[in-house]
Amino acid sequence: MTNVQRHGRWALASRHAILALVAILLVAIPIEWSWAQAPKRGGTLVMIVQPEPPTLASYQSTSGPVGQVATKVYDGLLEYDFNLKPIPSLAESWNVSADGKTITFKLRKGVKFHDGKPFTSADVQFSIMEVLKKMHPRAPTTFRELESIDTPDPYTAVFHLQRPAPYLLMGLSGYESPMLPKHLMQGTNLQSSPLANAPVGTGPYKFVEWKKGEYVRLDRNPDYWKPGLPRLDRVICRFIGDAATRSAAIETGEAHLGGLGAIPNVDIARLKALPTITTTTKGYEMLSPMVMLDFNTKRKPFDNVKVRQAIAYAIDRQFVIDNIWFGYGKPATGPISSNFKATGMYTGDVKNYNVPNRMEIANKLLDEAGYPRKADGTRFEIVHDLTPYGEEWKRYGEYVQQVLSKLGIKATLRYEDVPAWLRRVYTNYDFQLTNNWVQTQADPVIGVHRFYSSKTIKPGAVFVNDAQWSSPRTDELMEQATVETDPAKRNALYHELQKLLVEASPYVWVFELDFVTVENKMVKDAIVSPLGIYASFDRAWLDK
Amino acid sequence: MKPSFLGLLAASLGYAVGRLARAIPTIAVIVLLNFGLVHLAPGDAADVLAGEAGAATPEYMQQLRHKFGLDQPLAVQLLVYAKNIFSFDLGYSFRHDRPVRQLILERLGPTLLLMGTTLVVSVGLGILLGMLAARRVNSWQDNVISVVALVSYATPLFWAGLMLIVVFSIKLGWLPTSGMEDVAAFNEGWARVLDIGRHLVLPALTLSLFYLAFYARLMRASMLEQSGMDYITTARAKGLTESQIAWRHTLRNAVLPVVTMAGIQVGSLLGGSVVVETVFGWPGLGSLAFESLFARDLNLLLGIFFISACLVVVVNMVVDVIYSILDPRIELGSREAA
Repeated sequence: MTNVQRHGRWALASRHAILALVAILLVAIPIEWSWAQAPKRGGTLVMIVQPEPPTLASYQSTSGPVGQVATKVYDGLLEYDFNLKPIPSLAESWNVSADGKTITFKLRKGVKFHDGKPFTSADVQFSIMEVLKKMHPRAPTTFRELESIDTPDPYTAVFHLQRPAPYLLMGLSGYESPMLPKHLMQGTNLQSSPLANAPVGTGPYKFVEWKKGEYVRLDRNPDYWKPGLPRLDRVICRFIGDAATRSAAIETGEAHLGGLGAIPNVDIARLKALPTITTTTKGYEMLSPMVMLDFNTKRKPFDNVKVRQAIAYAIDRQFVIDNIWFGYGKPATGPISSNFKATGMYTGDVKNYNVPNRMEIANKLLDEAGYPRKADGTRFEIVHDLTPYGEEWKRYGEYVQQVLSKLGIKATLRYEDVPAWLRRVYTNYDFQLTNNWVQTQADPVIGVHRFYSSKTIKPGAVFVNDAQWSSPRTDELMEQATVETDPAKRNALYHELQKLLVEASPYVWVFELDFVTVENKMVKDAIVSPLGIYASFDRAWLDK
Repeated sequence: MKPSFLGLLAASLGYAVGRLARAIPTIAVIVLLNFGLVHLAPGDAADVLAGEAGAATPEYMQQLRHKFGLDQPLAVQLLVYAKNIFSFDLGYSFRHDRPVRQLILERLGPTLLLMGTTLVVSVGLGILLGMLAARRVNSWQDNVISVVALVSYATPLFWAGLMLIVVFSIKLGWLPTSGMEDVAAFNEGWARVLDIGRHLVLPALTLSLFYLAFYARLMRASMLEQSGMDYITTARAKGLTESQIAWRHTLRNAVLPVVTMAGIQVGSLLGGSVVVETVFGWPGLGSLAFESLFARDLNLLLGIFFISACLVVVVNMVVDVIYSILDPRIELGSREAA
């Protein structure tokens, strides 16, 4: 494979040389074109990361900015293609046993950590069993069936599972499960490892320095295991607190790339019109972000399914997308994103709230629920909490407030800071209705179950079942889908789950959010994976 | 009789020691108040970390709280904190996984550079413009200075900063938008100094415009007040030129209120300017304090508060000493006696 790649590259280069020669004889213009297509080596890519991460301990936090930086340093066992199918990375191949309870990974040989020590199955065993399983926030789901990892030789790692875990193979990217150096971490206090601020991995870029408040500098790893890669000399992750300044830095070319909301949607239309800038919504397929309204189903009035359904009817999803998110999104139909259409898990065949006489139905449902309009035209009052992640959530809240007033519901908006909101919604359950957005991840077991399972009504755990809704049948469906290895049967379980959840409407699934990555046109091949800016940028190059 | 230099120095020293002794209880009270205040905010660092992570189990949160010492009763936390502070240990930021002292020291240089430049430019130019306006009172120069001062004082800092970026970075392309250094170049030596200088221009200008306006107005008013005094008439009577009077007599007396205000500004130096640091991506202490508040990184926040409180106490003392040098009628001891 290595030879093929090398050969391919040489062949391409020589073909370009011939093309160029011919072109010189004919016309001058095509020369530039033909050379422009061949990847160039060198240069510094400046990426805007917002906000500045507290540490680079991606084995301990799945926080967005941590992942954007750390994924350039750490590889995972697997990568993924745009159809969300696993492809080889540090693991060259893998094999799942017939009963689904043993997974054998063959590791790539000759891979070295940035300090020169070889990467072996001992590192896999240590990373997953000793670090990730104990410290990673999503490990209780991803690795819950994983009992042990055997290392029969340095290049074989055998995962032993209690029960089949079809989702496990979706959680092994460099972002989700970084492969760590055992020799630098074993025997140290993992909670405060020096690696948290100075990561050492096997990835395409080496960590050099972190000037807090300014930037993280990552230099090319000349010994990277992918031949000829990486192409860049350096990646700089810059931190700029002000959104308008971030846009200005992209506009002047001081920074080349920013994603995951780093550039506000309000600026994107203007930047997009510039000849130097391009945008893409690709590269978020493994996150599947979803914008919702969360009801507290244990409190009046949202303990009543008719009231919840009335609100689900009243929200004009396309209006929210067009007017608050500048068109970057797609109306949602239920808890599973339409990104899962390719795998067959998604179904749009659920209760449809997006009907022409929405408001009429909503009013009727509220009447039936026992909340008739009083003499002044109102039915009841609520407080609507807003998720504290920026301006658009206030706009979205104001829209919901207006829609509710049309139904005779007087909503007061409340905007607090992050810790206060988290405490209110996920520990004290002291709310009635809050807006929210969540990542539903690469598999429903990892990203979806947590919002609907009775097991995740746990005060203190964040971004789980704040609606506190559950039913025996949906719990059962999720339990079965977790261990079902036959894709067709698993999909059928998820189809039933979607139907039941949408009917009960413990949340309103408003729309599937499209994040936008803004790039300078000089940047090529940066977004080449469903992980987008959470991928390693090993193939990225600058066309200067 | 004019006191001798040595006498003055001894008096100053004695005064300083007295003031320092009284500063200790002041700071102790500040520490206590700060601690109480920051703990009033709902939610804690574990909530924030879990929120950023996007997922966490209650067991994991418990583990975090134990590690941060947040599972201790508040009184125990206060005792631990007080013990650390009085042994000059600012504690550990669990969020950053670094000692607070190190985090603050890293930001100190950029903060002092920005705020120092601003202080020199705004006080210097403010005094000069104020004098100019006062000496040509009601002339066109005075009107121009007054209007410019009014406008720049009334302009919100973030807006002024963004407009400067639009003009000088985007339209003209003369200066960088943000940051302290060109991160793609990694300059060395004088090239680096020059590069940092270029990055300093816009943030320093934004902040200076704001303060300058203030000092210019203050200086103008103060100069006008002094110019009606008897000693000025005397100076004029003995045949001094107007500029001699302005520089030698009026200035020295008129500058006292400016020194007072500059002292207050120096006191807030370490706090940095959250707005300007945020707009220009300048790695100062202001934005660090701001972030640590929202992250409930209380050790770090308290550390910054503590250092700032100490600075205010010290600067107040220094301002009093400068007062006595500028105006020997003000005696250090007499205030203490009173």
